[in-house]
Amino acid sequence: MTSLSKDPTLLSRRHFMALAGGIAGMATLSALGVPSGWAANTAKVDVDTVNRKEHTSDVLVIGGGMAGLFATVKAHDAGSKVILVSKGRLGSSGQTPFAKGIFTYDAATAPISLDAFVDKVSRSAMGTNNPVYTRQMAEHSRARVDELRQWGFFDSPLYNTCFSKPIKERNIPVLERIVITHLIKENGHIAGAAGFSMDSEKIQIFRAKSVILCTGAGGFKPNGFPICDLTHDGTIMAYTIGAKVTGKEWNDGHPGQATNAAACFDGWHGMFERKPDTVGVEVHHDLGVDLNYIAYVNGGPVAMGPPGSGNTTSKGGPLTPAEFARPPGGPPPGGGKAPGNGGPPSGKGGGPPGMAGIPVGGSSAGMSIHKSEGLVPINDRCASNIPGLYAAGDALGSYMAGAIYTQIGSSLAGSAVQGAVAGTAAADYCKAVDFQDVSTAKLDDIHQEILAPLQRKAGYSPAWVTQTLQGIMIPNFVLYIKKEKLLQAALAYVEELRDHHMPMLRAADFHELRLAHETANMIISAEMKLKASIMRKESRCSHYRLDYPEMDTTNWQAWINIYKGADGSMQFEKQPFAAWPA
Amino acid sequence: MMHSQTNRRGLLPAILLFTGLPIFIYATGDFPRRTLLKESISLLTIIGFCMMLAQFFLTRSGNSLLLGSNMAKVIKIHKIIGYVFVCIILVHPFLIVLPRYFEAGLDPAACLITILRTYSNSGILIGIFAWCLMSILLVTAIFRKKIPLPYKTWVQFHKWLSIACMIFACWHALDLGRHTDRVLSAYIILLAFCGILLPLKNSKSPTVLQSEISRPGKGEISRDSF
Amino acid sequence: MTIKLISGCIGCGTCVASCPTDVLRLDPKTKKAIIKYPADCQICHLCRMYCPVDAITITPDKSIPVIVSWG
Repeated sequence: MTSLSKDPTLLSRRHFMALAGGIAGMATLSALGVPSGWAANTAKVDVDTVNRKEHTSDVLVIGGGMAGLFATVKAHDAGSKVILVSKGRLGSSGQTPFAKGIFTYDAATAPISLDAFVDKVSRSAMGTNNPVYTRQMAEHSRARVDELRQWGFFDSPLYNTCFSKPIKERNIPVLERIVITHLIKENGHIAGAAGFSMDSEKIQIFRAKSVILCTGAGGFKPNGFPICDLTHDGTIMAYTIGAKVTGKEWNDGHPGQATNAAACFDGWHGMFERKPDTVGVEVHHDLGVDLNYIAYVNGGPVAMGPPGSGNTTSKGGPLTPAEFARPPGGPPPGGGKAPGNGGPPSGKGGGPPGMAGIPVGGSSAGMSIHKSEGLVPINDRCASNIPGLYAAGDALGSYMAGAIYTQIGSSLAGSAVQGAVAGTAAADYCKAVDFQDVSTAKLDDIHQEILAPLQRKAGYSPAWVTQTLQGIMIPNFVLYIKKEKLLQAALAYVEELRDHHMPMLRAADFHELRLAHETANMIISAEMKLKASIMRKESRCSHYRLDYPEMDTTNWQAWINIYKGADGSMQFEKQPFAAWPA
Repeated sequence: MMHSQTNRRGLLPAILLFTGLPIFIYATGDFPRRTLLKESISLLTIIGFCMMLAQFFLTRSGNSLLLGSNMAKVIKIHKIIGYVFVCIILVHPFLIVLPRYFEAGLDPAACLITILRTYSNSGILIGIFAWCLMSILLVTAIFRKKIPLPYKTWVQFHKWLSIACMIFACWHALDLGRHTDRVLSAYIILLAFCGILLPLKNSKSPTVLQSEISRPGKGEISRDSF
Repeated sequence: MTIKLISGCIGCGTCVASCPTDVLRLDPKTKKAIIKYPADCQICHLCRMYCPVDAITITPDKSIPVIVSWG
């Protein structure tokens, strides 16, 4: 994010000329809804009058989805003063509102033992899962589901009311529509976070002993998946202050529908209006890149078979373990998977896009497999390598389900379970530490960095840069059927965006300011995805390399961790499967 | 016989004006069509509201020009329409949230609370105010005989309360109505103008007012029938 | 046009809060919801589902070009 705040008055002669000549045309384009690229910034905000508001709590929870809910409640119940801050509304932002199936493991009725369940997930995940988190999810799922039931979660397809219930009962402050852009670190410890409110148009500073990122994952604001508010904000903020990040090479392979590809409500055939339900043990090897491979090899519209049956239609391609292969031509799985967090219960109508009609690819572009990307946990309590900084749900690279969709509905359950674990762990941490002092000078710097796009006299429109990024990352199977040359080519473009466009993003109001910060986060995430994809010279689960189609068990029984080097450059390391970071 | 003939002849244009026209405006307007239940409720509320405006044309002091001079009939219709459609208008806030009961999403009661708590603009407050006035109007009409007021005074009270109520009701409908596009708004304003403001202008002089009210009932009209 | 129409808005602001992508805002003058940033609509229908008076109409087409990977 720091590079967002280069000299705000930066305006080269070349750009000035382009600006002078093109401004009339730009105005016409923006009237059509097509964002202009470089243009003068007609800021409607006087940045000098933007005030600062400060908040203090032991634990700050960022994000109001399933993980954020449990992190907040459990941190409070463990004795901490908690504030929940969200970019959207509690239960109505991120992927949580659209997840309709939640896995619950009941030892008394489950068809297989807990050990057998963890083993089965590991087999489907080809070793990429972290069995500690797989087991934790299953073990605690029942207790979280019971709490959700008490709060009325299963009574309505809309989650704001039931999420508000435990929060109101505990009188916990919830601050909504605040975009957090910075995590603050002092003396090696987390010290708080900063951002801005879209409605009151203020800078918001949060001082906290511990911060829990429940910020979800993200994508490139793709069409057809309800993740356009998820731009890896938490991951990139944490990376910026030195946290380790993992899982960027994996890919969610959800198709979209060809007709009205952007209409995710329509694409999911009314599933968003359905009440949630529980799901029992049902382990698959789903929604990797197999369908993309068929489209790549055969071209044209793809006849949609069930996920996992790809190998039977086309030779080669991504490997599905024999145990999890589906019979060719069999019926699609009941309802398929919910977008994101949970699969819907079988046979209750609705279903993912592409299951009926002509599918298109890239509907969830930029998103990894749930729980496989995000902050690297250093233990089973959702702690990151920065003391006091925790993450839960899709913001934590826990590899709970591995690098492919395994247990249906486990994503939503995992968010609930990890939220609770992280909340308790953060509250425990707070008992032993004091608040870190943050200097006014540092806050002033952050203040300036946040508002920088508003201060630019001219710059690139964030919407246009996002479209440019989509144009690089979404077509040509860049992330689905990976080839070294194409990944390198895309990387060259993305680095150009990073170096030349990101520092010149403009914003006319606080909505565009949000877009500017989101765009910067997406660019960094794209760089991570491409570099990690280039580094992983094998194919496994949802990562498919056309030039390295086989699984490499000699060199690649390992996850890739990404961190910021001392010189500010992006660094990569391997972490052996089933081991904690050194 | 002459009277009833006149009435029957006037009835069709009246029905056309106060129900046919709003239905036509609703049917031809560019409104999104929703479920049958929601559309039925909308239409019922629109007709109910127009009927409230029609009431001003079904009085002695106003102009009963459409239905001729058979005041007994006019007053009877006035009472029936009044009781039926005032009730519909009074329950319309509940009718708006009723379809939620059949949907999986929001709780109808929660919706109603959200509606009633919206004070950021004047629309809801004005609506609540008009609703209260209309409730008083209904109660004082039902229990007119039990109210220790001279008939003349009660008529004045009823008239002015109706006028106040409908001015706020029109404001509320024009501000918040889902179907009050330009055409329906123009229709409402025109009716309100003709029904409320014109008679108001005519009745400005206290002597005219006095003479109208103290005019002896024409045959069938007894004081009690009003 | 993504969110096509808001009719019968009472100005409660629920849709503004419920929109994940900040498409809707209350008009400072009329205090009613307006479709301020239609290009950012992800057509998820949360605003419509949360509206207490069902005032929002949404169409499945998007106002800006849609980029997909293949089709």
